[in-house]
Amino acid sequence: MILVVAEQREGKLNRASWEAIAAAQQPGGELKVAVTGSGVSDVAAELAAAEASEVIVVDALALADYTADGYVTALAVLIEQERPAQVFFAHTYQTRDFAPALAARLGRALITDVTAIRNEASGTVYVRPVFQGKLNADVTAAGPAPHLITIQIGAYRADAARRGASAAPIRNAGIAVDASAIRQKPEAPFKEAKQAVDLSQAERIVAVGRGIKGQEHLKLVEDLARAMGAEIAASRPICDAGWLPMDRQIGSSGQTVAPKLYVALGISGAIQHLVGMKGARTIVAINKDPEAPIFEIADFGITGDLFEVVPAMIAELNK
Amino acid sequence: MARETLEVDALIVGGGPAGMSAALRLAQLQKAKGGEPLAIAVLEKAREAGAHMLSGAMLDPSALKELVPDFKERGAPLGSEVHHEHVYFLTRTGKIPFPITPPPLQNHGNYIISLSRFVKWMAGLVEAEGVDMFAGFPASEVLYDGDRVTGVRTRDQGIDKHGAKKSTFEPGVDIRAKVTILCDGVRGNLTKALVRRLALDAGRQPQLYAIGIKELWEVPKDRVKPGTVIHTLGYPLRMEEFGGAFLYAMADGLVSFGLVTGLDYRDPMFDPHQAFQHLKQHPAFSSILQGGQMVRYGAKALPEGGWHTIPRVYADGVLIAGDAGGFVNSMRLKGIHLAMRTGMLAADTAFEAIRAGDTSAARLRQYEERINASDVRRELYPVRNVHQSFSYGLLPGLMYSGLSLVTGGWWMKDPMPAHAGYERMAQLADYYGETRPDVDAPVRPAKIDRQLTFDKLTNVHYSGTRHPEDQPSHLIVHDTNICSTRCRAEYGNPCTRFCPANVYEMVDAGNGTKKLQINASNCVHCKTCDIMDPYQVIDWVPPEGGGGPQYEGM
Repeated sequence: MILVVAEQREGKLNRASWEAIAAAQQPGGELKVAVTGSGVSDVAAELAAAEASEVIVVDALALADYTADGYVTALAVLIEQERPAQVFFAHTYQTRDFAPALAARLGRALITDVTAIRNEASGTVYVRPVFQGKLNADVTAAGPAPHLITIQIGAYRADAARRGASAAPIRNAGIAVDASAIRQKPEAPFKEAKQAVDLSQAERIVAVGRGIKGQEHLKLVEDLARAMGAEIAASRPICDAGWLPMDRQIGSSGQTVAPKLYVALGISGAIQHLVGMKGARTIVAINKDPEAPIFEIADFGITGDLFEVVPAMIAELNK
Repeated sequence: MARETLEVDALIVGGGPAGMSAALRLAQLQKAKGGEPLAIAVLEKAREAGAHMLSGAMLDPSALKELVPDFKERGAPLGSEVHHEHVYFLTRTGKIPFPITPPPLQNHGNYIISLSRFVKWMAGLVEAEGVDMFAGFPASEVLYDGDRVTGVRTRDQGIDKHGAKKSTFEPGVDIRAKVTILCDGVRGNLTKALVRRLALDAGRQPQLYAIGIKELWEVPKDRVKPGTVIHTLGYPLRMEEFGGAFLYAMADGLVSFGLVTGLDYRDPMFDPHQAFQHLKQHPAFSSILQGGQMVRYGAKALPEGGWHTIPRVYADGVLIAGDAGGFVNSMRLKGIHLAMRTGMLAADTAFEAIRAGDTSAARLRQYEERINASDVRRELYPVRNVHQSFSYGLLPGLMYSGLSLVTGGWWMKDPMPAHAGYERMAQLADYYGETRPDVDAPVRPAKIDRQLTFDKLTNVHYSGTRHPEDQPSHLIVHDTNICSTRCRAEYGNPCTRFCPANVYEMVDAGNGTKKLQINASNCVHCKTCDIMDPYQVIDWVPPEGGGGPQYEGM
């Protein structure tokens, strides 16, 4: 049995949890989904749509705010009770924070940032990137089950997660968490900037690079984004120049994204940028230089001046 | 927020081969001599030991044999022993073998190593002796009491790119020591400041540097036998440029391959990274690399001036060892064993001085005496004018170098006169005359195919370098006006070419002029800009803790 631990924050399900569910459904065995928090029945109901044998809720007041201690304590008990063969997580910031501690508490193997899973005669093989995505390594888990697996964001498609014919039953695991055992005291969530944006959650992204030439031309990009219902992002030079805030930066020193649609405007496609967006399902590139490396990974490419192409796109979208 | 202070007996700044050897030697002396245990600390700017280490690398194991006699049993990662050696002179498309391997390039008994792995292994030995290693803590300044060095201050953390304190701000820590051993490497930022303040280079010749650009390749296993060493002179460098290429073959088709170019070239349009691309297209090397894969990239300056350029390496409370002091044999292309040896001698001196309760310059002078009585001088003194002789061109350089093997380095004028490398760079008008080249385009472009040849930005990715973006630039250009006005006219912004990591770019300023853009997060910590900038307005300082390349396996 595979247990997927879904992630919620303030009662809102993280979209990447569906990706972890899709990954866990792939082998075709029994699947359970767990969610932790306080007052998360809405999230549990949302998860019950998945093709799974049940949804388990770990509901405790001490889990209202995320803390590594709280989650490790609760999930260690849950895993002892359920005895899954594997536990899957989406490789989110939160998972990165507590999963190593959970693995250490259980004394079990943890394989992080997995992009593909193969079942071979010798056992399950997990593929994970090494050397900043340059190479893929085949990894097998040593030691007894359960093995803890985190799934890279964008490696599996959320909409590929199979939905059940009827809602899965929801059960409360009845796990108590002793608040005094939690050493961290969380403060109110810190907001970096007013319009802080989590691009990893965006379904459509319009990204802009040096080809935009000047800050005054950004309006054109904003218009296209609005017409497409997309978020705006940028390559490093744009954020470095302060034309867009740093949280809009895609690439090795910014965010990694995997939207359904990625439109790259005037981005040459330096490898530093590509590693941040190559997981996008459909990539559209517009660039003056036919030799630009972005065309090597684009599904659709337009060799042309973005100042001609983009207004035409906006006009067509607004029709 | 109050600044913390830490008191130790001996502080080693820089966890490279010199610093690790010094730390290990101090721990060994303490064990052997007993008595009140010394507090020893090592500061390293990289996030983990060895991550910023880059060299060819060929190890002469002489110092290692003395420092860790059972190095084999203790699992020293020594790679392949050298079996086959070739030296060639490259023409544009051909290669002419040297009739004999010149004695300084004979490497039998030496090992091809990854310096990064080697230093990581040494760090394990040092930590096992109970020495405190602080990785990810760059030292930003030397602390003084008058002219006496009392320790160093580590860099403040948590400053944003505009210089304001972030919520994560932490002031740097003052680490005070009875003796500080500076092992901050080639053009070390602390050694540079110390040498200037105390005029430790008075009466010495200016240091001469080179830049080494290196790639690690995986090639089909039958291409080249492990233990093969190839050195070349000539193409793509011209008679006026000092340098040469190296290829060291390790097990499993792993090949270490690079080009070393003197940072005393005249042509302001010269681009070492571009020359490296031309080199890879030469049949002598493309026949080995073609069909393989580049897996890592890096660049680092090296001090090649030799004996006459070594500053005074002691002062009140401080010693200088390794590349920071310029202990490299440019004729043998080796410095790791000299870094280790000087680190050990510095430790010997520091240990006795601390125990004697006298760490004044008069006492620490014993370090210089020890160096003079050691293999370090026996090796460096006879080749003291070698790099300098190449400033007269490749052929005079070779002739003098050959001669020096017989004469012990004698020359009519000793030291042979020399200028700092940046002073030798010619202005565009002097070098190109009437036909000024387009300074925004390469004079000798190399075709970039991203299989065999790469642009700088792609290469930077393979250096693994990372710096958080929201911090002040660690490359301080004291006058950026010069860039768009004088430098553009006189030299055509050579920083955009000599930097092997695309840190410096001249971008449109809007009104038809260009302005300097510093992509500090690309920096691979090679120090070339600090060395080669013709106006000497660039200061390299360490970035926030841990930033920099990841040279695993290099």
